[in-house]
Amino acid sequence: MSWLRISLTAFAISAALPVHAQTVTITTAGGDYGNAMKEAMWGPAAKELGYDVREETLSDGLAALKMQVTSGAVTTDVIHLGSPEGAQAAAQSLLEPLDYKIIDPKSVPEGAKSDYCYPFDSYGTVMSWNTKTYGENPPKTWAEFWDVAKFSGRRALRANAQDSIEIALLSDGVAPADVYSVLSTPEGLERAIKRLEAIKPDVAVWWTSGAQSAQLLKDGEADLVITWNGRAQTVKADGGAADYTFKGSVIGTDCLGVPKGAPNKEAAMKLIAAMTQPARVAKLTDFIAYGPVNPAAYEGGLIPEDRLKTLATAPENAGTSVFSNSEWWVKNGEAAQRAFDEMMAR
Amino acid sequence: MIVVRDPALAADARRERRFFLSLSLPALFIVGLAAILPILWIIRQSFLTTGGEYTVGNYQKVLSSGLTWSALVTTLELSLGTLAGCIVLGTPLALALASVRPRLANVLMAFVMLPLWTSILVRTYGWLVLLRRDGLINAALTGSGLTAEPLPLVYNFTGTLIGMVHYMLPLFLLPVYAAMRDIDPNLIRAAASMGATLRQVIRTVIMPLSAGGVFSGSIIVLIYAIGFFITPAVLGGGKVNPLSTRIERTLSTFQDWGSASVLGILLLVLMALIGVMLLAARRLVAQNTVEASHA
Repeated sequence: MSWLRISLTAFAISAALPVHAQTVTITTAGGDYGNAMKEAMWGPAAKELGYDVREETLSDGLAALKMQVTSGAVTTDVIHLGSPEGAQAAAQSLLEPLDYKIIDPKSVPEGAKSDYCYPFDSYGTVMSWNTKTYGENPPKTWAEFWDVAKFSGRRALRANAQDSIEIALLSDGVAPADVYSVLSTPEGLERAIKRLEAIKPDVAVWWTSGAQSAQLLKDGEADLVITWNGRAQTVKADGGAADYTFKGSVIGTDCLGVPKGAPNKEAAMKLIAAMTQPARVAKLTDFIAYGPVNPAAYEGGLIPEDRLKTLATAPENAGTSVFSNSEWWVKNGEAAQRAFDEMMAR
Repeated sequence: MIVVRDPALAADARRERRFFLSLSLPALFIVGLAAILPILWIIRQSFLTTGGEYTVGNYQKVLSSGLTWSALVTTLELSLGTLAGCIVLGTPLALALASVRPRLANVLMAFVMLPLWTSILVRTYGWLVLLRRDGLINAALTGSGLTAEPLPLVYNFTGTLIGMVHYMLPLFLLPVYAAMRDIDPNLIRAAASMGATLRQVIRTVIMPLSAGGVFSGSIIVLIYAIGFFITPAVLGGGKVNPLSTRIERTLSTFQDWGSASVLGILLLVLMALIGVMLLAARRLVAQNTVEASHA
């Protein structure tokens, strides 16, 4: 009869839990990234707080957030967004202001601070290549990536203006520091789009999800892939014939926000604070190569020395990278995406 | 129709008709809830700004954008291409199925239906494995020396079309096969005994008598194909963008529900137009066949 007792106990526990435990719903991007966040960040934090955390996964956070908030049926308490989307969501008042009495304001460097979406990790949009195709001599700069005569091969780019237009300007000789001032002029945007159009005949695939870009790299479907460093690193670590460089990468951050009208607002703030403790965001790098935003996570050897090199924020990559500018994207995102789509349709 | 003279019996018949009609109420309710209401909601949405005010701006924006028209052209190219593929591959197959012994036909039919029961996602990714650069087909082609370089079979229009034809073929085949099976074999025998060649038999007997099935199949193919999303999204490599992917992009990248709703309505109108056109064509053909047989 022990099975009966076990199932009765299980029933009693499951019936008792919802009464006592605070339930919080978190929406992540899923996949390797979502699992990494669960293992390193919200899993341990939920245990510490005694919360019962439910996970939902979506590849398109902002569209889902807007759907939930405008329909008045908000089911998620914490949502994972890219920082440009976070800024866009804040501009459309889809997010609650962050409670910096619960979340430590000193955990974010001044330049990255946001009132609505808490930046917790950073990634680089990088150049990756098939090592079978190029051996020891891959393209080293974006200008060489664009040089299809010298480096023939199939390219794969993201079907999105984000990061692509920044990289297009870098390939055209614009200095990293000047990318956004050039993009802010109408001629600058046109220049970037023209540059993308020039490489279009050699683009075999315009990918739409990070997982797809990793697949293209792994299968050798494309020889040169612009993708996120975490994806490229995972392919490389899995023994794929692939490598990548942070030189000239576009560095962006991902953030956590609380949807406007979230059912458990305060618990959500507490969960964000707990899951982004230095040790936890440092632990995230055990699973995926996305480096913490919190400077404290880089102290006290929380991240092994050899792993620092695989993070977008590695000191040796400084100077060649562009920091993705969320404000620019909130202001000019629609025009840029439209110009990009029109280029794609030509 | 039996004409009932007795008033009591007539009332009884009316009651019975009402009862049978009322049986369809649950179905009507579900259709209303699942189809009509959302469509009305989309129509309303298409007239709203992001702020919730009434506007016709969404229509101006969508209809004046070159992106809409290029998506429309792609949609039509894909749909007509799929239809052409289905007719070319499906009609001879239906003819073959209809002319073999019934038991063999049943076995062959099972092979046709099997893919229909497989999820579209599985089938689409299956094609990816077959068609990609180091996939099965290209490995066979380059391995046997037939081609020096792998052929670009996927992440383009060709790959999308292959995936769509594969998905639609069974749905096209069923009505065509049904129509061909119903042709009286005596007509074919009669034609043959009068000295008609096979080609003449096909042209004068089989084609006119199976035209109804081909039209039904075509309507099904076109109406499905116009709304295809997964296949172009996965096999198109971002280069094949029909209205369906345009709608998704408008929602996810631009969060512009109003414009997405306008695009949805455009799709709906397109479907209705094609349905009406095909039905009209079907009637015309039926008329011609009757006239031809009287001539």
